[in-house]
This record gives sequence, structure tokens and C-alpha cells, in this order.
Amino acid sequence: MSTIKIGIMSFAHMHAFGYAMALKALPDVELTAIHDDDAKRGRAMAKQFGTRFVADQAAFLALDTQAVIITSENARHRGMVEAAAAAGKWILCEKPIAPTVEDAKAIVAACKKARVGLGTAFPCRYAQPLIAAKAQIDAGALGKVYAVTCTNHGQSPGGWFADEALSGGGATMDHTVHVADLLRWMLGKEITKVYCELGNQLHQDTLKTDDLGSVHMELEGGVQVSHIASWSRPKSFHTWGDVTMDFIGEKGVLSVDAFNQKITVFDDKLGRAVWAGWGDSLDDGLVADFVASVRERRDPAITGVDGLRATEVTTAAYKAFRTGRMVKV
Amino acid sequence: MNVAIIGCGGMGALHAQMAANCGHKIVLCADSVRKAAAALAEKFGAKVSADPLSAVAAKGVDLVAIATPTPTHLPLIEAAAQAGKDIFCEKPFCLNTADCKKAIAAAEKAKVKLFVGHVVRYFHEFEAMRAKAQSGEIGAAGWLKISRGGIFPGAPGSWFRDYAQSGGVTLDCMIHDLDWVRYAFGEPERIFCQTLMRTEPVQLDYSQVTMRMKNGLIATVIGTWAQPSGFRVKAEICCSGGMIQYDSADAPLAVQPRTVAAGPNMIVPMSPVEKSPYQMEWEEFTTWLEGTGTPRVTARDAMAAVAMAEAALKSAKTGQPVAL
Ligand SMILES: NC(=O)c1ccc[n+]([C@@H]2O[C@H](COP(=O)([O-])OP(=O)(O)OC[C@H]3O[C@@H](n4cnc5c(N)ncnc54)[C@H](O)[C@@H]3O)[C@@H](O)[C@H]2O)c1
Repeated sequence: MSTIKIGIMSFAHMHAFGYAMALKALPDVELTAIHDDDAKRGRAMAKQFGTRFVADQAAFLALDTQAVIITSENARHRGMVEAAAAAGKWILCEKPIAPTVEDAKAIVAACKKARVGLGTAFPCRYAQPLIAAKAQIDAGALGKVYAVTCTNHGQSPGGWFADEALSGGGATMDHTVHVADLLRWMLGKEITKVYCELGNQLHQDTLKTDDLGSVHMELEGGVQVSHIASWSRPKSFHTWGDVTMDFIGEKGVLSVDAFNQKITVFDDKLGRAVWAGWGDSLDDGLVADFVASVRERRDPAITGVDGLRATEVTTAAYKAFRTGRMVKV
Repeated sequence: MNVAIIGCGGMGALHAQMAANCGHKIVLCADSVRKAAAALAEKFGAKVSADPLSAVAAKGVDLVAIATPTPTHLPLIEAAAQAGKDIFCEKPFCLNTADCKKAIAAAEKAKVKLFVGHVVRYFHEFEAMRAKAQSGEIGAAGWLKISRGGIFPGAPGSWFRDYAQSGGVTLDCMIHDLDWVRYAFGEPERIFCQTLMRTEPVQLDYSQVTMRMKNGLIATVIGTWAQPSGFRVKAEICCSGGMIQYDSADAPLAVQPRTVAAGPNMIVPMSPVEKSPYQMEWEEFTTWLEGTGTPRVTARDAMAAVAMAEAALKSAKTGQPVAL
């Protein structure tokens, strides 16, 4: 098989690290170069992953790569996608695909126009417990699903995540899209209405954005959903956070705690207990599909439109909070 | 004091024992189903009545404990107050705030004491959480989530299964947590709710609430009568410098019988402690009757809890938040 050459644009989002690891682990794939507007960070990452750092974006896109992974700040996705698409690269874009629906639509349109594949990085679709949960639902174990209760908690990431100009919003922006995408994927239904209470509930001294959104959604057919998007896990918490979904169905209930494959380690040096995960890597599946999509000249399994749909939900959540109403998506 | 137990189902039997433990005498057991009244009366050597409305006014009774289906609370309270009896009433106080107001007016007019059993305020774990959250040791609370519930209560045909009588999981069960959040964190500002209230093809109810409190705290409250079995309470309170978690499934005592009685029944959570929360509410109520103390929950608190549940159900119907 011919080698697929891929570049990474920006390590602003820490997920770039996992994707780089996944690329390095794949046969017939070359991590050709890293571009980063933070040259120091870019050089360090290039060194770590044994590849080249290219400071100039045009020079980076002029390389003979077939694809790029874009892991910059949310607000910088659009500019990078448009440039990469114009250069004919296949694109995997970090979530949320954009902070605004306008940007998300422009991203999808740019890739369509350039006839390049566009994927959104929703690695949760590659989490085995969630895959198994979807299989149960698809097999009819729950019958009709009536309601879902979800969480996507995390610790406060700080940095640009809490700079609205770069992120577009706080925890509600960061931690709604995974679950919005999972709901659409697992139930095969679109999200039609959104309500949200949000605020800076826990980090008033350190953050300017919201750190928590209590989101309610309605899906096609009237499925009732609540979801907590948060950066509420304290520094002393035993792990980074979670993705959980409790499904209430006609024939039964199903609870999935996607990252609850762990051992608990009591560490005297840390002074607390921490989880050590043993589950499969999500990034491997996501990145393998992206590489296959480049090879097969098709869209990745999770498309740019999936990213757009999730962003529509997030922006509806902020609008719902601003207006104090449940709003249509 | 001489006590009449009105409604001799699950809670009536429990309250009879709690009252007796406090030194009260169970003199009369009344239930619209004579057999139910007779079974409980036998245990305490009490008289039997199948006419609850006259039982609340019976001579020789000082105190009436009402543990009947929710819609009957108001007429029973009014009759008991008129007859000059002090009153212990199970939560939910009444079906709606209008009825709560009438009940309070009746008790005030008759100058009798009216206590509503919001027992979660007496649960040790909830008291521990309240103390820790209010202490400020781990900063200020900004968000909390409480989930409560299990299997749909009551056998087929039970009043619980008639949403017009029970109000479903939101009014009957989640009201515990709505009351507790207000108890611990102050007045609510607005409430949003989604609830199932299904009867077909299976009966199940599931209620998801987000409440914004006047102090800014966001409370997410989940009530379930949709589980195939069991009963579970989970709580999480996030503060600026830490977090509190509680899970009833993570308990010091677990018993799993190899066979279970036929049919589902209402499971009452019990903490294996020297003094059960139900005992504590009866002790506090008793000190109030004796004039030596005041209970931590008033009839007005109980009405505020009904108002929150009522607003939640209104929100569920309109699909929009309701201001409180
Ligand atoms: N605090 C708690 O933990 C808790 C738990 C369960 C129920 N409750 C509340 O307690 C009350 C009773 O619930 P339960 O679980 O004991 O129900 P239950 O169905 O077990 O018992 C109700 C009893 O009342 C009788 N009854 C019906 N109508 C009557 C009437 N008009 N007059 C007299 N008796 C009548 C029934 O025959 C039955 O024996 C309800 O308000 C319920 O919401 C509180």
C-alpha cells in the first residue's frame, strides 16, 4: 500500500497528542509535518513525534501531504480548513467544528467546493462501551427509547478554552457536542429543541466563560433528554471527567459510563486516589477511519455535517439561556 | 398523646410505630379498606374505623397522622383541624398550592399544629451534605444534581398509578429533593421540567428538572419511576473548592433475598442508623407538640415544595421554564 502522508495543524488542542500517537501507530502512514502558530510548541511536538516543523502555513500546505488534522483553537478552525481545502487536503477537524453555525456552514461548504473529505473528531463513537450500548439499542433491547440523562463532565482546562474569542464559549461549548453527536448517532434522530441554564458556577475567580450548562433537549419523536456539560470536576478528582448516558426505554433501561474501564490507584505521593484506565484507545479508531477515508477518497464516517449539527445544538443552548426559552434548533 | 392513624398502608404502618416509639398511644386505625385498618390496629391494640373522615374527629384522639393518598390530605386535614386535633401529614402536603393554602388556613383558624413529613430533611446523609456544603470548607456550591427513584410504586390499580392522584414521580417523589434544595440553598427562581407520565404500553414516569436558585446555584434533579427494580438515591454537589458525592447503592448494608414477595411494592429507603429519619421527624414533631421545640420544616415549607412541583409539571406541559 502507498504511504498516506498527513500533517497536523496546531497543537493548541491537547487531543492533537492522541491523534499523533495514533498516526504513528498505523502502518503505511507518515506524520509528514507539524504546523503551529506557536512555534515553540510546534517545534517541541515535531521533535517528540520525530517529524518536521513548518512555521509557515502556506509552505506547510504546499507539502506533498494528502491530508491534515486540524487541532487549533475553535475559532481558528475555519481559516485553517478553508486554506487546507483550497490546497486539496482531506481534513479531520477537532470538535467543536466551529464556535458558530456560520463558521461551521462555511467549513462544510469549503470542503464540498474543493471536493475534499471532511471529518469531525468525535472519538466517542469509537468508545467500545458506547458502541456496545448502540448495538443493544439497535437490537431492540430497550424497545422505544423515551428519555435519556447524560453528562460530559471535565476539569477546567483553562488557557484558550476559557477565552471566548478563541473558544466561542465555556464548558457548554466544549462539552455539549460529544453527547449531541452520540444522541444523533445512537438514536438516529435529530435534536429539535434545546433549553439551557448555564453560568460560571465554580470558577468565578479564574474563568470568564461558563463552566457548566444544564441542557435539556427534545429529539424527533419527543425523546426527552437532559445533559450536563461541565468543567465541574475538582482538581482532586480521581479522573479527568466522564461521558455517561442513561437511557429509559419501553422494555428496559441502559446505563453507559463510557470511561469506567479503570483500576483505582491509591498513590501516597499524590495524596489521593486516581483512576488508571485500561480501555481501548478511541483515537485509534477515529484516526484509522480518517486514514482509510483519505485512501478511499471518501468522507470520514463522522462527517463535517455531523460537526455542524452538533454546533447547531450548542449555539441553540446559548441562545436558550440568553432568551430564557426552549428554542428550536 | 392518643393518636389516630389515618391510612394504614405502607407509610401508615411506619408512622404508627414511630409514634409509639415516641411514647404516643395508637388508639385508632382508620382506612377506607377495613381490612387494612384492622391489621394495623391489632398490632397496637387500637380501635378500627372504615370511616376516615369521622375517625379524624373521634373523641379521645389528640393527634391525627395522615398517610393516605395525596388528594385526600386536604379534606382530612380540614376535618381534623375543625375537631381540634393536631396533625401529622405525609408529603406531598396536597395536590396543589391552592389546597395547601386551605389546609394551612384551617389549621391556623383552629389553632392546631400541622406538620408535614418532609423526611429527607432528617436523613443523616442529606444533613451531612448540607452541613459540608454550608460550611464553606470546600468553597461555595454552584451546581448540584440529585437523582432519586426506582421501580414504579404501587400494584396495578394502586392510586400511585393514577397521575391525577399521585402527580407522578415529580409531585410524589422528586418533591423530596425540591424541598431539600430549597432547605439547603434558598429560594428557587425558575424551573424547567421534562416528564414522561406514561401509561402505555408500560406504566413509567421519568422527570428531568433544571432549577435556577435565587442565589445563582443551578440544580439538576432527576426523578425516576422507570427502573425495572430497586430504589436508589444519588447526589453530587459541586463547590468552588471541591465536590461532595453520595450514592445509596454504596451502602454499609446490603441484603438480597433469593426470593421476593409477589408484585412490586413501594420501597422506603432506610439508613441503618440508631435513629431512623422517620423517628427523628416524629421526635421533633413531638417536641413541638410539647412546646419545647420547633420543627425544621413548616407547613409553609411544604407548600413551597408543592409549588415547585406544580411549576415543574406546568413547565413539562408548556415546554418552557416557569418562574417561581
Ligand atoms: N416520606 C416517604 O418516604 C413516603 C414514602 C411513600 C409514600 N409517602 C406518602 O405517604 C402517603 C401514603 O403513601 P403509602 O405509600 O402509604 O400508600 P399506600 O397505598 O401503601 O397506603 C395508602 C392507604 O390509604 C388507604 N386509603 C385510601 N384512601 C383513603 C381515604 N380516603 N381515607 C383513608 N384511607 C385511605 C388505602 O386503602 C391504603 O391502605 C402518600 O401521600 C405518599 O406520597 C411518603
